[in-house]
Amino acid sequence: MVKPGFIKYKKKNPSLTKIDKRLKNYSEFQSLLSDKDLRNQSDRCMDCGTPFCHSSCPLGNMIPEFNSAVSDNNWKEAYEILVSTNNFPEFTGRICPAPCEHSCVLGINQDPVSIENIEKQVIEKAFLKGYVKPIKKRKSSNKKIAVVGSGPAGLACADELNKNGYQVTVYEKDEKVGGLLRFGIPDFKLEKKVIDRRIKILEEEGINFLTEMCLGKNISIERLDSEYDAVILCIGSTIPKDIIIEGRDLSGIHFAMDFLTMQNKINSKLKTDININAKDKNVVVLGGGDTGSDCIGTSNRQGAKSVLQLELMPRPPLERDESMMWPLFSSTLKTTSSHEEGCDRKWGVMAKEFVGNSRIEFVKTVDISWDKDKKSFYPIKNSEQLIPCDLLLIAIGYDKPNLFFDDQYSIEMSPNGTILANEKNYLTSRKKFFSCGDSRRGQSLVVWAIKEGRDCAQSVHKYLKKKQLT
Amino acid sequence: MINQKGLYDKKFESDACGIGCIASIDGIKNNQIISDSLTMLENMSHRGATGNNKKIGDGAGIKTQIPHKLLLNELSKKDIRLPSPGDYGLGMFFFPNNTKDYNKSIKLLEETFKKFNFKILYKRDVPTNDKDLCPSTLNFIPKIEQWIIVHKHYIKNEDNLDRRLYVARKYYENLIIVNSSLARSVYIPSLSSNTVVYKGQLTTHQIRNFYPDLSNELFESCFSIVHSRFSTNTFPSWKLAQPFRFISHNGEINTLQGNLNSLKSAESRFESKFFTNEELNIIRPVTSSDQSDSASLDNLIELLSFSDMDIDEVMMMLIPEAWDNDDTMSKSKKSFYEFKSSIIEPWDGPAAIIYTNGKSIGSILDRNGLRPMRYTITEDNKIILASETGVIDIDPSQIKEKGNLRSGKILSIDFKRNKVRFDDEIKNTICNKEPYDNWLKKNRITTDMLPRKKSKFKKINDFDLDIFHKVFGYSKEDIEKVIYPMTENSSEPIGSMGNDTPLAVLSKKPKHISNYFKQLFAQVTNPPIDPIRERGVMSLNTHLGNISNLLSQKDTDCQNILLESPILDDENIEKIRSIDVFNLQSKTINAYYKVDKKEGNLKKALNRLCRYVDDAIDDGYEFIIISDRFLDSSHAPIPSLLSCACIHNHLIRTGRRGMVGLVIESGDVWEVHHYATLLSFGANAVNPYLAFATIKNLRESNSSPNIKKLKTLKRNYIDAINKGLLKVFSKIGISTLKSYQGSQLFEIIGINKNTVDQYFTSTTSRIEGLDIDDIERENNKKHFHAYKEDPTDLSVGGLLSWKKEGEKHAFNPETISLLQHSTIKNDYNLFKQYSSKVNHLNKTSIRSKFDFNFINDSIPLSEVESSKNIYRRFATGAMSFGSISHEAHSNLAIAMNRLGGRSNSGEGGEDEARFKIKKNGDNLSSAIKQIASGRFGVTINYLNNAKEIQIKMAQGAKPGEGGQLPGHKVDDWIARVRNSTPGVGLISPPPHHDIYSIEDLSQLIFDLKNANRDAEISVKLVSKSGVGTIAAGVAKAKSDKILISGYDGGTGASPISSIQHAGLPWELGLSETQQTLMKNGLRSRVKLQVDGQIKTGRDLAIASILGADEWGISTAALISQGCIMMRKCHLNTCPVGIATQDKTLRKRFNGEVDHMITLIHFLTEELREIMASLGIRKVDDLIGNTKLLKPRKNQYWKTKNLDLNPILFSHLDKPKNYYNSSKQKDYLSGQLDYILLDKVKDTLENPSIKTNISIKIRNTDRAVGTILSSEISKRFGSNTINDDSINIDFCGSAGQSFGAFGSKGLTLKIEGDSNDYFGKGLSGAKLIIKPPKKSRFIANENIIIGNVALYGATSGSCFINGKAGERFCVRNSGVDVVVEGVGDNACEYMTGGTALILGNIGKNFGAGMSGGIAYIYGNKNLNNFNKSSIDLVDIDKEDIKKIKILLLSHKKYTGSLLASFIMDDIKNQKNNFTKVYPKELRRVKEKNKIQING
Repeated sequence: MVKPGFIKYKKKNPSLTKIDKRLKNYSEFQSLLSDKDLRNQSDRCMDCGTPFCHSSCPLGNMIPEFNSAVSDNNWKEAYEILVSTNNFPEFTGRICPAPCEHSCVLGINQDPVSIENIEKQVIEKAFLKGYVKPIKKRKSSNKKIAVVGSGPAGLACADELNKNGYQVTVYEKDEKVGGLLRFGIPDFKLEKKVIDRRIKILEEEGINFLTEMCLGKNISIERLDSEYDAVILCIGSTIPKDIIIEGRDLSGIHFAMDFLTMQNKINSKLKTDININAKDKNVVVLGGGDTGSDCIGTSNRQGAKSVLQLELMPRPPLERDESMMWPLFSSTLKTTSSHEEGCDRKWGVMAKEFVGNSRIEFVKTVDISWDKDKKSFYPIKNSEQLIPCDLLLIAIGYDKPNLFFDDQYSIEMSPNGTILANEKNYLTSRKKFFSCGDSRRGQSLVVWAIKEGRDCAQSVHKYLKKKQLT
Repeated sequence: MINQKGLYDKKFESDACGIGCIASIDGIKNNQIISDSLTMLENMSHRGATGNNKKIGDGAGIKTQIPHKLLLNELSKKDIRLPSPGDYGLGMFFFPNNTKDYNKSIKLLEETFKKFNFKILYKRDVPTNDKDLCPSTLNFIPKIEQWIIVHKHYIKNEDNLDRRLYVARKYYENLIIVNSSLARSVYIPSLSSNTVVYKGQLTTHQIRNFYPDLSNELFESCFSIVHSRFSTNTFPSWKLAQPFRFISHNGEINTLQGNLNSLKSAESRFESKFFTNEELNIIRPVTSSDQSDSASLDNLIELLSFSDMDIDEVMMMLIPEAWDNDDTMSKSKKSFYEFKSSIIEPWDGPAAIIYTNGKSIGSILDRNGLRPMRYTITEDNKIILASETGVIDIDPSQIKEKGNLRSGKILSIDFKRNKVRFDDEIKNTICNKEPYDNWLKKNRITTDMLPRKKSKFKKINDFDLDIFHKVFGYSKEDIEKVIYPMTENSSEPIGSMGNDTPLAVLSKKPKHISNYFKQLFAQVTNPPIDPIRERGVMSLNTHLGNISNLLSQKDTDCQNILLESPILDDENIEKIRSIDVFNLQSKTINAYYKVDKKEGNLKKALNRLCRYVDDAIDDGYEFIIISDRFLDSSHAPIPSLLSCACIHNHLIRTGRRGMVGLVIESGDVWEVHHYATLLSFGANAVNPYLAFATIKNLRESNSSPNIKKLKTLKRNYIDAINKGLLKVFSKIGISTLKSYQGSQLFEIIGINKNTVDQYFTSTTSRIEGLDIDDIERENNKKHFHAYKEDPTDLSVGGLLSWKKEGEKHAFNPETISLLQHSTIKNDYNLFKQYSSKVNHLNKTSIRSKFDFNFINDSIPLSEVESSKNIYRRFATGAMSFGSISHEAHSNLAIAMNRLGGRSNSGEGGEDEARFKIKKNGDNLSSAIKQIASGRFGVTINYLNNAKEIQIKMAQGAKPGEGGQLPGHKVDDWIARVRNSTPGVGLISPPPHHDIYSIEDLSQLIFDLKNANRDAEISVKLVSKSGVGTIAAGVAKAKSDKILISGYDGGTGASPISSIQHAGLPWELGLSETQQTLMKNGLRSRVKLQVDGQIKTGRDLAIASILGADEWGISTAALISQGCIMMRKCHLNTCPVGIATQDKTLRKRFNGEVDHMITLIHFLTEELREIMASLGIRKVDDLIGNTKLLKPRKNQYWKTKNLDLNPILFSHLDKPKNYYNSSKQKDYLSGQLDYILLDKVKDTLENPSIKTNISIKIRNTDRAVGTILSSEISKRFGSNTINDDSINIDFCGSAGQSFGAFGSKGLTLKIEGDSNDYFGKGLSGAKLIIKPPKKSRFIANENIIIGNVALYGATSGSCFINGKAGERFCVRNSGVDVVVEGVGDNACEYMTGGTALILGNIGKNFGAGMSGGIAYIYGNKNLNNFNKSSIDLVDIDKEDIKKIKILLLSHKKYTGSLLASFIMDDIKNQKNNFTKVYPKELRRVKEKNKIQING
């Protein structure tokens, strides 16, 4: 019997640039596997009769299929399969938390197939080999569509509609297109040239991008309404969650996104009013998620003296437990590359007070115990600590979309502040206005944003076609 | 009939039988012959059956010459002068027994005779005596009369007299057919100038007394043919008894529908110099619809015979031997068969027939030799022909010759020349009567001879390809997972883990019309065939052209195109389109309809199509090509199956089908099932142009450097389809494409009756569904997808593996993980989430369309029968140790044993270590031990460690097919358990070679009951139309349990078309079974079990309401053990250690016994909750209580017209008759073994004491030695007693299954002969057989044992001083045997042991043989070996040593003269031995040698 790949090969990760070296700049530091190694990794895919990976991918990526193509050395086919469900594999291949890998069948008792990296390498190969080319299509429709917001949802939606022959204009409030991808995610995870490369293609394919156009500031809902046949609001969920405790008004306390955006702008040589510098500071990051992790990486690159990350929840287990049995998403203890670059982490800790004179000097914390069943926590008596802190970054998530426009324009909001749009057809309460992505869904993953962007585009298409008939 | 509302249909009835004949070759008439033949019939009573009452037989009869003397005597008393024999006709009549109908029928008959110038000389009440009969049947006895008739104009020629009688009879039959009450009750067993038939619905023992005539000394005949019937029905039906007017048939005609259709098509062309046109009009239709397959065959033989065709020739034509692949056959014979094949297709199926026209008697066997026929010729020139030997006592010294009829052979007793003519003589004469070879040369056209094509075929460009794919409904999966693998591997892809997707009619995706058609398959009543190992009997040849006049032949009858495969490539179809030779031309007709908002366009188009075809026929075209190449944005193609079946049935109705060849040129044909449906509904040839274009596109878009040439890919694809087609025919037991064509061997699910009647006439469809407009609507969806929607991708498919956007699967990522989480966490709420999801998703199955009917008040849960009490009703499915790992296999066993349910060993045997209970009390022994066609590890000890022995007739994943365990899965352990060699692949044959018919199954049940009297015997059937009728037969065969398996279950690996398209859902099969058993009063004596995708408590409840006492759970059980529906079980790479033998992977197994127990517990709880809500306290009260269900109303266009009421139909009866409430009667009490047991008591108590016994034996003593073996096994287990501890000398003719499962320590010796299944499953015993001392014939020239000897034998030895019948040593895995000649198919699938054969071998020797060694003595015809799995090598020293030892023993035990001769001259004789060395064994041995040496 020929040994199948999943028995023959172990999981192999691409190598990373050494820490001291990578801390010197903001570049990506993950290498690519050789073609042969990558083929072997694809060969580990078992082409399951019930592909759980495909099931748990919001986009429904045809994972076994592209793995099989890679393992056959058929890069073009792999690329075609990949983009048949995913507009921007170069983004998800870098920054997706990869629910697919969490539910990979091989992951039941072995390391799962490294799907995300394969995805990334397939699309990089496709760019290299020139498979990714702008496809210029004659506009088959005279219908005009506005997409407000150029994050992953807006881009995916615009891309799909453009491919369907509509005239698409994308409005972006910032000076460059990309939204969260460009300003929220550090370069060491997603270099901005990756975005530029894609935007260039989209532009060549005929999408019209208008930057520094902020809805509610220099463009109004009414204007959009009068000029376009359909408007899609994908303005993200950018208002951060705050922590209101004593000392919150001290200086040296910032939202993570301000910090990250600033650094991204600096790296891209863009103007920024914000100045947050971690150099030689004791940095405390509140929040144990990916944004927190990005703050750690950025702080270390700026030359922080120390970095400490505080997380409310208890330390996760090293292996799956009953609460996250396969194929559920596993929230076992995760050490990111940013963690590896140097930081302390504490779990089960709550910030109780920010201490200092005008500037923050300490964070007062208290240990907490978590009640699983009641899903609530209690402070542990006499566990208070004072932690030195010169810069505090709040990375505990996002609350809702930032509405620069006034909601008097009859676009209804949900109770939690997101734009209310139908789950199936993405229509808002206002005629011809749609919404998708985080602004509708609330804070989520890039892969969900792309998914919503695609589905919304379908719905807009149907909507316009129906209109045409009537 | 009584229950048109239910699922039972009398057309499902079938039967199998014992037949026999005694004849004086010299034509000497006496009554002794009749008396002897009745004795013979009585001695074959075990081959017939009785219903729920022993006194009600299935039918028996006798055919003789007209008893002239008896009649003369009677008439002389009345002063009536009887003409000389041959100058008058004797009619035997069954008339209605009520006066009104009687008078009517008499009157009509008298008028008839008058019309045809016959005079009624005398009417005779046939004396009858009904005292032995069951009182309840007396009302059904017809009034039986004999009339003596003479023609007014004295007709000299006796043939001519019979011809006129024939016409008169046909006329009369036509008269009564229009009168429904008479049609059922009037019947003419015989009306002839030379023969008469006495028969009735009687047991074999009743007939002698019932007809006192037969015992009258004046009743004389020089021959007598008898028949005993084992039927699956038990309703009064006197006319179904045999013999018929020309034949006695033991068999089954698998291709009946096709044969009848083609006969109907040929009728319009009848011309004969023996019948006037007026007479031909009376004769047509040749057959009637309300009779059995055998009766129809009889009708045709009768007609051909009266058309002055030699009766032997008729038989050769209708039941030809396998000829196309036989290179040894003489040219004249081959030409004869080839010529005849273009006139008529075979009436295919297992058959042993004794036929007579009164002047000679003949017998013929089907090409596979699937029924036994033994003969003995005595010194006083009598011949005894019968299904068994030893049926009458003959002094051994009087025996001149003993033999058996071989596959496809014929013999005949010629009363004119007073001699027996054998196959060669008969066939030589017939085949040289005409210059068939020349005729063929002159007229036969092959595709090579066709002139060049005139037009270039149109290529499809890439853009069109996409449109075409969508219009015809291709999915990506179809292209990548179905077509592509076929082009690569020349075979259909394999899948596993069953089918949990919706039936076509329940799917919301537009389906291919073929998906509504489920393949039928052979089960019990006839065997499936192995199309790979027995390729020699299979044929894909077909003819394109018209059929000529059946009633007389001329040289141009073969003027048609011969195709070697029904698949035409693009080149050949253009040639046929352009053909212009012998005035043969073809016409292409486009099949499309307009797509617009209106309905009814498809229907109109089909009518138009028929008109066009009619016109083309009027214009004299011989070939019609129905093409769907021309489509556009407002015209959609007619589904090719629909246009084909529509035209086919239209032409049959108009009697013109035979005038044209029908070629389908279609885009909607790409997988095996599509071809099968087309061919089965009338296509003569198919051009799948889109499939070819797809292959071309695949080739062009594939950049891999290893890609094969386009030509190769296309050829591979055609090969794959051809192989697949052979598999489809063989699974229903059909050998040739010609017979399959037009056979309509499908059941339709989800198309309504009107549509079926119109387009798929006579096909079974029982729950209504789509009408023709709905089919149009579904087809339009595909067209819309291609043209109207925006360009979207091809659909993903998602049938073979789950896909988000694809077809629904009940087991999907969500439900699989919910089930696993709930059982691991023991969380019933999670389980409820699982089951509600599954039940909701379960729109895949018929049961999802039922709702519970709450007719009772609900009761508290506590009042419902306890879970503990219910667990015993659970079983796990048969999954073999081999297909799944020890870890998984034993976990299931432990769990079920803890609960008191039953796990199933599967067909791979079981490690004896598991028979001992573990210290912690766990029991790893599977309660159910399965016995399947491979008989792996089936030993007497295995059987005696069973609580239930399950005979697997078919499995859901691949009914009608065999299995294969690839060599890489056979490790040391598996090999030990299966008595085979590690690394050598193992094959299970498609059929059990000891079950070719219902009476054979009855015999195996009998054998197994002998082998373990404490075990229940169950028979596993797969749901199909008619399964209820088979189940009734099985119940009559005394099985304790019947398992009805759904087509969708089954975890086994199988070709994907089998998984998807063969068999039916259990809902249909189970309720049909329940209804049929109730109808026959057989229900309460058997348990009914059901399995197939049972996943929730709701499933259990519905199963029971439809009739199940018990349920089998397999897939869900595996999922509880970690299975994630990988569907790659056949690759040995299961990543969770279940379906694998790989040591690394087995370590990854993570299943726990408790999870399985939790699963069963949850299922039971859910069932109990449902029962409480229905107000039902006990499961017994649920069973068959169909009032508790109602069909769900729904408005979805596809399902709103389904009618599920037939499934819920119920017979009114006492409540306890709805479920199992009694036991089968013990019928072993008369066994010879009880006498033997008494005599070997001492040895059984103290094995060191030896016992020697001598005793007489006869053919009614069956399975002798088996109870004895069981007792040895029970006492001593596998550490059995020493060889020769018990020696028994038998004298006489042993019945079937002599020494079956004979245990070590037994030595059984026969002086005489023995019947079929000699030494079946031998488990260590020594069997010896030799002719009686007094006999004068030469031992090694005579047949001494019957067919299928040593089938599945595992150990022991055997010495046979004479020849054996067909299929000797099939699946032998360890017995050393010496025999002096064997029939066809010897040593098939053998995996161990040694066969030393000192004489001739039949055809196809060693097919699929993968282990063991055979030595053949003498110069052998190399063509008789099937060399695909064996090598022929010279013997070496080791071999000589082995041969010598065997020869010495043979000589010692049997006194064989041949053995002595060889031993005495071994120096020279050793050169005459050839060694048969299985390739697989050789490969493994040589590999091991290299490993050891290296």
